[in-house]
Amino acid sequence: MGAVEGRPLDEERELVRRARRGDERAFEQLVRMHQETAFRVAYLISGSEAEDAVQDGVIKAWRALGRFRSDAPFRPWLLRIVANEARNRRRSMGRRAALTLRAEREDVSGGAAPSPETAVLAAEERTRLLAALDALPDDARLALACRYLLELDEAETAAALGVRRGTVKSRVSRALDRLRESYD
Amino acid sequence: MTELERDLRALRLDWPETPDVASRLELRPRRRLLVPALAFAVILAVAAAFAVPQSRSAILRFFHLRGVTVERVGTLPRAEERPLAAGLGSAIDDARAKIVLGGPFLPAAHGTLYERDGIVSTLLPGPVLLSEFGAPEYLKKFVTSNVEWVKVAPNVQGLWIAGEPHVVFFPGASPRLAGNVLVFATGTRTVRLEGHDLARDDALAKAREILGTAAG
Repeated sequence: MGAVEGRPLDEERELVRRARRGDERAFEQLVRMHQETAFRVAYLISGSEAEDAVQDGVIKAWRALGRFRSDAPFRPWLLRIVANEARNRRRSMGRRAALTLRAEREDVSGGAAPSPETAVLAAEERTRLLAALDALPDDARLALACRYLLELDEAETAAALGVRRGTVKSRVSRALDRLRESYD
Repeated sequence: MTELERDLRALRLDWPETPDVASRLELRPRRRLLVPALAFAVILAVAAAFAVPQSRSAILRFFHLRGVTVERVGTLPRAEERPLAAGLGSAIDDARAKIVLGGPFLPAAHGTLYERDGIVSTLLPGPVLLSEFGAPEYLKKFVTSNVEWVKVAPNVQGLWIAGEPHVVFFPGASPRLAGNVLVFATGTRTVRLEGHDLARDDALAKAREILGTAAG
């Protein structure tokens, strides 16, 4: 997942500039570019509350757009707002979000060879790794999911975790150690 | 990159389908209508202040009555129309209701109780949905319909919301359209009566029955 889904940063900046002037269509385009990542981050944090968290987060982002620095990347800013909203909803639920993450089934019926990436792990191994990941404490699980499953960069991961960028490396490193202990 | 990191990257997950939030946005202009919107809110608050004697608390409570926040909006958020009985949760007994609410469900004589996320409900004839909860800031309502302060009992003010359907956000559930509603607070309890054909006088009579202050 690229930083702006393959769109040039200039295009995103132009959309941000228009949205800051009140152009609703430009803001909708920005949301469309990032809603999948935002939804998945919210899902990792709040499970079934994810859709509402994204909806409310996006509305808050629209209201706060005047305070957004137009030269900054948009996605980390949006992810921070949506992740906060998801955390608030999870707190009000008073329990860990029940996730139903499953490894994607390999489609072998089409005749195409599996991609090199998916071929690396046998189905049982993927299931076992996912179970080990899901069993980690929330902070560790979210850190690894953001970095490796969603392939967010450090700034975006920091936004999703609600921590400073400098904290991401150490948190990911500790989370990998814990995962290694339970997976190996 | 270690082998474990490569394995993690190679995981392909069956994520839930991403909702198309962008297509459903109903954005209100930020700057152009900010002043008129604020002015409208102030007018409503002042109107509420004239409707009840304690002006300052009335203004505050107009938007926030114990566990309910009412926000007047120009356009309602998208919401489903669902039967009153949908999503009430699991059936519970009186003892469980007492624990959830911090006191007995009112009135003492009632039908089957259901609980979901701290809200205890029962269906009354009508049908009318009676819900009680103790937590602060539990429900959000967005209204374009009429909202007025009503006197439920001595020292008990309520909000009567009627006319056009409004949207209610219960915790843990997607928003739904609501019919006529009376909301009031007693002690730490917030009580809500809802029915599509619920008349103001009937709602007040039921509320007084719940409070044990019914005439006769």
